[in-house]
Amino acid sequence: MRKLFERLPLQFRVLYRQFLLRVVDLEALSIEADIPRFLGQFAGVLIMFSVIQALVLLIHPIMTPAETLSMLWHSEQLLIATIMLVTGLIAVVAWDNIFPDKRDVMVLGPLPVRPRVILLAKVAASGAVLALAVFSLNIAVGIVLPLIQGGLLRFVPNALAYWFTMTAASAFIYGSVLALQGFGALLLPRKMFLRVSGVLQFGSFIFFLGAYFLLPYLATPAALTAAEDQKLLGWSPSFWFFAMFNQLNGTLPTSLNWVAERAWIGLGVVGITAAAALLLCYLRTMKKTVEEPDLVPGVRGLHWMPRFGSLLQSAVVVFSIRSLARSKHHRVAYAFYLAIVIAIGFSALKHLLAIPAPRPPTTDYLIATFMMMSVAVIGLRSIFSLPISLRANWVLRTTQISPPERYISATRWALILLGFFPVWLCAALMSLCFRPISLSAAHLILLTLVGLILADLSLIGVSKIPFACSYLPGKTNIQYVFWFFILALSSIAIYLGRYEQRTLHDRARYLELIGILVALDLGVWAFNRVRAKSATLSFEELPVEVITTLGLNVVRPHTQMVATEEVHLS
Amino acid sequence: MLELRRVSKHYSGIPAVDDVSFCARPGEVTGYLGPNGSGKSTTIKMITGLIDPTFGEILFRGKPIQDAPITYKERLGYVPEEPYLYNHLSAAEYLTMVAQLRGLPTRESSKRIDGLLRLLALYDDRHASISGYSKGMRQKVLIAAALLHNPELVVLDEPFSGLDVGSALILRSLIHELAARGKIVLFSSHELDTVERVSTRVVILHRGKLVADDSIVKLRSLTELPSLEAIFSQLAVEQDTQGAAQQIADLIHA
Repeated sequence: MRKLFERLPLQFRVLYRQFLLRVVDLEALSIEADIPRFLGQFAGVLIMFSVIQALVLLIHPIMTPAETLSMLWHSEQLLIATIMLVTGLIAVVAWDNIFPDKRDVMVLGPLPVRPRVILLAKVAASGAVLALAVFSLNIAVGIVLPLIQGGLLRFVPNALAYWFTMTAASAFIYGSVLALQGFGALLLPRKMFLRVSGVLQFGSFIFFLGAYFLLPYLATPAALTAAEDQKLLGWSPSFWFFAMFNQLNGTLPTSLNWVAERAWIGLGVVGITAAAALLLCYLRTMKKTVEEPDLVPGVRGLHWMPRFGSLLQSAVVVFSIRSLARSKHHRVAYAFYLAIVIAIGFSALKHLLAIPAPRPPTTDYLIATFMMMSVAVIGLRSIFSLPISLRANWVLRTTQISPPERYISATRWALILLGFFPVWLCAALMSLCFRPISLSAAHLILLTLVGLILADLSLIGVSKIPFACSYLPGKTNIQYVFWFFILALSSIAIYLGRYEQRTLHDRARYLELIGILVALDLGVWAFNRVRAKSATLSFEELPVEVITTLGLNVVRPHTQMVATEEVHLS
Repeated sequence: MLELRRVSKHYSGIPAVDDVSFCARPGEVTGYLGPNGSGKSTTIKMITGLIDPTFGEILFRGKPIQDAPITYKERLGYVPEEPYLYNHLSAAEYLTMVAQLRGLPTRESSKRIDGLLRLLALYDDRHASISGYSKGMRQKVLIAAALLHNPELVVLDEPFSGLDVGSALILRSLIHELAARGKIVLFSSHELDTVERVSTRVVILHRGKLVADDSIVKLRSLTELPSLEAIFSQLAVEQDTQGAAQQIADLIHA
């Protein structure tokens, strides 16, 4: 493989390596600037998922053939939806690196490099990451599922069908994003496209996650052929590829051949459109990129911002809002957490709307709002740790004319306004579906306290301004810490939701719960406040010095000793 | 008055600034010179409170700046060497944020921001993202941010970097004007002609040590050299500049 790679033209190899390093923005992921390590971690997570899925398929109770078929179909739909989600997320994270940006054009333009070499290197770099994703996600389950489905005799054709379908589903999603972005760049004026691009990226993120969490599974022949599900089958690409897989291995009911046909047509259309978009973009957009003025005038009339508390609080909150809205790294990270919150919200709404009115607050709704609050507050807190521009932090240090506790209080305010408040508002709107309204109000009081406790807990030991603090790359391991917190808080949310359901009809127990939560929040808040009084704002976490002394400097040269003594004497 | 008393800064035991002492007085423009790596930027970072000295102390109005850092920062205006700004903000947003952080009343600060943006020819692009600004425009934003609160001490590190001729002339006059109004101006630059025209006195640093601290007129008469460039070359440039230039040309020609 290596020898084959080395036979490729040198320009292609150099550019391929460069573009591969930039497929994923490492700064956004709080990890060392070490692409093999990051890709290794990324593959590791997917392999773990694959192994768990394979074990689920292998370790199951004895089933009837119909139950086995249902289990396999469920797994197939889950795996196809997952590869589509993973590909979609890769496409969103690599959004600005798919087409050549101004840096590429300005650096590579004056060099004797043909545009087609740049194009091929970009496509190859993206393809390499997608191949890694498809391979890692299916490494175990891609052997076990075809084996269970057809036994040893039909293993090879089933495995080929499986791997082909997964690759096709991944290519379909990536191609769709390419086509969307490419034609956006071609059809819209450059200035407008640059503005719309961020919105499209954000929307795609929410769309991919929303679709993954909200789409139902149709894992029985009855569900697949039910009249009410035909519309869903016709419009959902994950079912198209599910049908494609079963068509390839010969297990698709003939009445569903039309669904598989949609996959083939979709694949063809997306393939041609994406290729055309790519080619046209490289021929036209590169020129447009050079001509693009450096100075894009701001939108007129949209500069007003309300005042959020004191001048300092306002400065910190407005800075946080602008950072979240304008920095692509922060936007992607925020969209990730927001998508989870929205998915939980939609899921809860879907379930509660199925219950006829008038309905009392359901346990599902209570749990869902607690979980939404946990993800929003903890997620935003983790995004606060991603610096926006470490080198520009000097201005915060040279203008620090307020005591640290006021900055820490402003950070808390920003967390409450941007993390706690939107979820609280959603919960309040959802609560309008419930009767009596007094029970909804009682829940909102409880949710307020839980949100404040979460905000105060997440700020324990924090002496930083949002987006203005640095971190030691690879030290924070935010990806693990976040998931640990989410798992722990989900368990607490489930327990709290169930407990609250019982207390809502028992005033004494409800008041007791409120009392405990108020005491808890006041305790954490007071603790943070006392600590903040003696805190020092931190902007940079410096790594431990790599130069270590061996303790051999006891005997110093005579001249240095004299000089040191002079300094001390003076 | 700003006073540095036997200030040293060591990194891993290696001195970047070694036993430097000098004063910058109100109404004077103190030029601060030194070749690359002489410890100039390190000194300025210590003066602005971004880093602490390893030895010695920095006094402002006779008091160590570490004793009352907040009061000191209220009186300090700083233009750093590199135009590092929050690129996702516009000039107007950035200056508003700085004004809020400095606790300037909203009405007064917006008047000053508008005025500074107009005078520095940034008003038409005030809502454009700083990421699209040229180096000169960024420099103007830094200058505006440094002067917004009418500081007593103005520290300018390469303030002419990237400025067009007109803006450079305005800044040169502005430096004189600030000094005339009793402010302490510490001004570091590699442009010796400008330093000679602007500064009342100069401080020259070489390899972390102070090699000259006097008025330009006195330095000229002491060294019997005609210009600041000649004085600087004698005190702080070790390399044979003509020889090095010839060697580079020979190398690429070979």
